Amino acid sequence: MAIITISRGSYSKGKEVAEKVAARLGYNCISREVLLEASKRFNIPEMKLIRAIHDAPSILDRFQHSKQAYISYIRSALTQRANMDNIVYHGLAGHILLKGVPHVLKVRITVNMKDRIASEMERESIGEKEALALLLKDDHERRKWTKSLYGVDPWDSSLYDLVIRIYKLSVDDAVDFVCQAACRQQFKTTDSSRHIMDDLAIACQVKASLVDHFFDVAVTSEYGNVIIYTKTRERQGQRLKKKVEILKEEIEGINNLEVHAGLPYPPDAV
Amino acid sequence: MEPLTTEMILVMAMIAIAIFLFIVEWIRVDVVAILMMVTLPLLHLVTPKEAFIGLSSNAVVSIIAVIIIGAGLDKTGLINRIVNPVLRIAGKSEKRVVIAISLTVSGISSFMQNIGAAALFLPAIQRVSKLREIPLGKLLMPIGFSAILGGTITLVGSSPLILLNDLLEPFGLKPFNLFDVTPIGLALVASGIACFVFFGRFILPKGNKEADEEGAQPAEADTLPALQEAYELHTPDDFTDYRDPVTVGDLRRRYLVNVVAITEPPDFKVLSPGQDVQVRSDMDVGVFGPEKNVRRMAEGEGMALKDHIDTFKEDLEDGSSGMVEAVLAPRSALAGKTLNQINLQERYNVTPLAIYHRGETYRAEIGDMILEVGDAIPLYGTWRKIIVLQKEKTLLFSTPEDVELMRPEKAMVAGFWLAVALMMIMVFKIQLSVSLMTGALGMIITRVLSIDEAYQSVDWRTIFLLAGLIPLGIATEKTGAASWIAHAVLNTIGTVSPIMLLTVIGILSTIFTLVISNVGATVLLVPLVVNMAIAAHTDPRMAALVVGLATSNSFMLPTHQVNALYMGPGRYRSVDFMKAGLLISIVFIIVMIGMIYLLYGV
Repeated sequence: MAIITISRGSYSKGKEVAEKVAARLGYNCISREVLLEASKRFNIPEMKLIRAIHDAPSILDRFQHSKQAYISYIRSALTQRANMDNIVYHGLAGHILLKGVPHVLKVRITVNMKDRIASEMERESIGEKEALALLLKDDHERRKWTKSLYGVDPWDSSLYDLVIRIYKLSVDDAVDFVCQAACRQQFKTTDSSRHIMDDLAIACQVKASLVDHFFDVAVTSEYGNVIIYTKTRERQGQRLKKKVEILKEEIEGINNLEVHAGLPYPPDAV
Repeated sequence: MEPLTTEMILVMAMIAIAIFLFIVEWIRVDVVAILMMVTLPLLHLVTPKEAFIGLSSNAVVSIIAVIIIGAGLDKTGLINRIVNPVLRIAGKSEKRVVIAISLTVSGISSFMQNIGAAALFLPAIQRVSKLREIPLGKLLMPIGFSAILGGTITLVGSSPLILLNDLLEPFGLKPFNLFDVTPIGLALVASGIACFVFFGRFILPKGNKEADEEGAQPAEADTLPALQEAYELHTPDDFTDYRDPVTVGDLRRRYLVNVVAITEPPDFKVLSPGQDVQVRSDMDVGVFGPEKNVRRMAEGEGMALKDHIDTFKEDLEDGSSGMVEAVLAPRSALAGKTLNQINLQERYNVTPLAIYHRGETYRAEIGDMILEVGDAIPLYGTWRKIIVLQKEKTLLFSTPEDVELMRPEKAMVAGFWLAVALMMIMVFKIQLSVSLMTGALGMIITRVLSIDEAYQSVDWRTIFLLAGLIPLGIATEKTGAASWIAHAVLNTIGTVSPIMLLTVIGILSTIFTLVISNVGATVLLVPLVVNMAIAAHTDPRMAALVVGLATSNSFMLPTHQVNALYMGPGRYRSVDFMKAGLLISIVFIIVMIGMIYLLYGV
């Protein structure tokens, strides 16, 4: 069936919507599991991953490229889960991480600021001003993060299929809408959308295995024919070659693997 | 027994030197042969005329003619029509390919000259080697040996056996029937092939690195894409229902399979279609690619893979289209451009299959790669289109021998001339060389192949190797060295059991046939052993038969015509023949004596 990504700010009831949608449609609801999986698989503390996906890259990060690496790890973990289909993902940046897959229903849930402040005050037992400041900071961080890494504003409604503001509409209304939309023909998994999802998963896996040493590679996959694009022509060539040879054996579903050097990266590359 | 003369000693010394040089290979074997050709007359062991008589000998001229006939038959694709079904039965396994071709060749060589069978199949075997990526060295030796062994299946299979009855006549012995030797011959062929199947790993040469350095032939097989072949598929009636249109380019990107032909309704055939041509329902699609990928595509897209090429039979046949490797020449105008910019597909109607760039093979998204001087591009297309492209001279072709037009339309003519040559030999009993040369000439006159192509097909290494050893044989006989050795050996062993005597005769014939021609050895030994056998109360017919058979036991040195022919293309060294030949020769003698014992109870 479909993959549903729910994007949300903190205290925006997005999680509630996600869980209810998952329960009604019988889907798996995932968010933190993806982080856990990634941190386990790539041996990184979960905290570091959370920070990577949450905070905008600092100057230092830009040199180390560790942020890009972590995002590759998360993306790899997510695409592999999404590969199984029938999931609701309400973690961060699902709409970006699963870009290009046709059967993904992208939803954004927003909530009236007053309600968010109230929730925050209740949960953290803090004052109104403090809560507002925290929420604004959090929103700012998230926008900055998406902008700096992907060049898009998460508040831009054109990124989503459905933007629902929980104010006059209740959580249950939102769940109704999302479920209805998810059952539309457009979001049904087809042969070709399956292939796109599979290929995205393979490309993400390849990228995640390489990003540690070769941060600036881009990977595409079509029906298991993987191309790794790299800028470096000679330098690193041998090392990359060796690593790629191993990947061929390690990652399932690769039919052919080639390294193309010195070519412009295709826009849909991972 | 006559005394040992100086000449005899000199001849034996020359034989020893020749064998020594064959083994150490300080100079190439054909040069050794030329050395003999020159030294023997200088030592007055043969007359100058005899020294070069080999070049005009019946055997050498026959070989030249049969090689030309073979090239002609190959050019028209006639041999392929025999080899292809054999290969289809054999499947993909190297061993089964060896067994299948060996059996075919030995079968054919059982009723015609061994060298003929071997020469006719040589071009086809070279193609099989390239296609299946089996090193030529692994194929030629087993097949060559099978051709020699096949000569023992019938009484007309090899020259010694043809002679045998004539040689028995003066003694008033009963002649052999055509198929009297068949059980022995079949056992010999079977044991020979079995040796290669079971011990091939140990006795066949492993690498040909050193031989490569001689630069006899560039190793093209290494660089051609792995196991690419043409296949034909059919799309079902509901192929385009409920799905996005599939284009030729999609299939290439998804499965790395190149569509090289497609049918357009009502019944047009489009060769090398463009990347944006759509694949529709109920179409035939001719593709070129590795089998694995083609099967993946058939499954993934729901196409039916046909057992063999049917609709595009004439278009995709080896004779009319195929693959060549084009290399970007220095200063080529194409350097710095991409394949998409050059647009080979639309301009020349050829399909680029991959790019070899700095030692790497690229198959996916090759259209965007920037070409550099020295990059190689395997192209698939009809020969006519490829020749047009070749004339532009922007690309060099590294496999030029493939860029010859095959002439399938001449197949009947080529077959006719082969039949004429065989008729002349079998029915009219005209001398072999004359008959075969008539066939070769006929092919040239009827333009099956041009005279230049005929010259090119003849391998000088083979000619000189054989021609140079003929005076050595003459000298051995003329000086009496051969009969002296034979007498000496047979006298030394004295009276022994019949089996022992036959074994010694077998070994003696084997050694003689390695140095003297097999016919020479037979003529020399048969009268000798018949007398010996009568004296030792052994069946003289069996003794003669052993000579007739064992003179085909010529595997340890590349002196047999078939071995000489295959030595060059297979890039074998004398050592390779000694290693494999020793085993086969021993097995030969054991099997031969065993079979004679079983059949005739000697």
